[in-house]
Amino acid sequence: MTAWINLPAVSKIVLLGLLLGAGLPALFAVGVRLNAQGAGAAAHGGVVSQKNPALAALSWVLFALVLVAVVVGVLFVARDFIGQHTGLYILGAKHK
Amino acid sequence: MDFQLFLLIIVVVTALAFDFTNGFHDTGNAMATSIASGALKPKTAVALSASLNLVGAFLSTAVAATIAKGLVDSHLVTLELVFAGLVGGITWNLLTWLLGIPSSSSHALIGGIVGAMIAAVGGHGVIWKGLVSTVLIPAVLAPVIATGVAALGTWLVYRAVRGVGEERVNTGFRYGQIGSASLVSLAHGTNDAQKTMGVIFLALIAYGAADPKSSLPPLWVIVSCAVAIALGTYLGGWRVIRTLGRGLVEIQSPQGMAAESSSAAIILLSSHFGYSLSTTHVATGSILGSGVGKPGAEVRWGVAGRMATAWLVTLPSAGIVGGVTYFIVHGIGGFPGASIGFALLVTASGVIYLQSRKAPIDHKNVNAEWEGDLTAGTSSQAPPPRAASTVPPSVSNDATQGAKTR
Repeated sequence: MTAWINLPAVSKIVLLGLLLGAGLPALFAVGVRLNAQGAGAAAHGGVVSQKNPALAALSWVLFALVLVAVVVGVLFVARDFIGQHTGLYILGAKHK
Repeated sequence: MDFQLFLLIIVVVTALAFDFTNGFHDTGNAMATSIASGALKPKTAVALSASLNLVGAFLSTAVAATIAKGLVDSHLVTLELVFAGLVGGITWNLLTWLLGIPSSSSHALIGGIVGAMIAAVGGHGVIWKGLVSTVLIPAVLAPVIATGVAALGTWLVYRAVRGVGEERVNTGFRYGQIGSASLVSLAHGTNDAQKTMGVIFLALIAYGAADPKSSLPPLWVIVSCAVAIALGTYLGGWRVIRTLGRGLVEIQSPQGMAAESSSAAIILLSSHFGYSLSTTHVATGSILGSGVGKPGAEVRWGVAGRMATAWLVTLPSAGIVGGVTYFIVHGIGGFPGASIGFALLVTASGVIYLQSRKAPIDHKNVNAEWEGDLTAGTSSQAPPPRAASTVPPSVSNDATQGAKTR
């Protein structure tokens, strides 16, 4: 590599970083909002809304998505280790 | 006992000491925002972080046997040089900890080794282009990228929860923070414990006690490095945690989760794409971003400026300590040289520790109101906080002490 800056890597880090690093907490925030609305705890112009089980359920789907992302993150960190000890090469783990 | 074995033992002990300072210096990267927002109790946070660092250290598989690869001419690396580099790294880690400044442990170690290399053979032993393109430029990019990602995340989060009761929001995000902080801790253990394992592995190869072709160091190296970094993390660098959690930005749990998610994503992505970014630079940038992105939040740019200054001087300062240590150890030579070098390190660490006891910060006062300074407001009996400018001379004090001894 002769370049001073590894631009391909930097641009991927920025793009995926924005998507995951900013997107996931935003998704979680939407979950918190739906959960509040579902429980009738979110105010709309001073009027407290009714309970809405569908919104509450949807909020749990979003929380589960974020949880899945965290689990994938952990597996990603551990992928080489898992690959070496179980033979399951996931998420681009290096073969030995 | 022959001299090389003596030197090997000193290098291993010093490397583990470095690993330990690495742990407590970086606890704040993962846990500062969770502690500041109240998502986790201080003691719980450091215990969780320590456990995950321990686990993370065992997950490291590919341990590079080359320290500072592509930065110095690896054929010229000797045990004395590695020792001098480690002393530079430890001294800088302790000094910045005393001042409560988060600074990169990798930079401190690299600075120490480069300084020792210059002292040993001159500037031609250093691969300057590698130093600029893989150390200096990433150090500028990392906080910028992290600030941007965390600022956008924070802004989106506050946009999404507008109109929802604050208490409800905070409770929800406290749970979220536990997940995001855990991920950062785990990634930290995997990356940083590996660094020290590499140093010890290299020393063992240089001594002839390990096979350069094996991809993993002996088990005792992995275990001792994992334990050292976990112990350091558990001890908690409360001074750094305080600056990161209270000094830069007043953090609420939604900001905390946004900052930690940004850190976790960027650290994992950067290691995936082989463009290593310092955990500290990323975490600090993310916390700054969480202040920028929250409407109406106050960011203490003065504190951020002090950190940036510390980052700029990390490489040269650790380098000077590393270089001077090399002169002492190599200049005196033999058992006395290595022993004096080690004794100086212990003395310097002791002095810094005693200095920190003048205005101690621990799990009890880590969250005290920030009153313009690291130690202000932490205790009514604390003496007036030492100004930042009074400490850096102790680097040169070390150096002059060293020169006198020599």
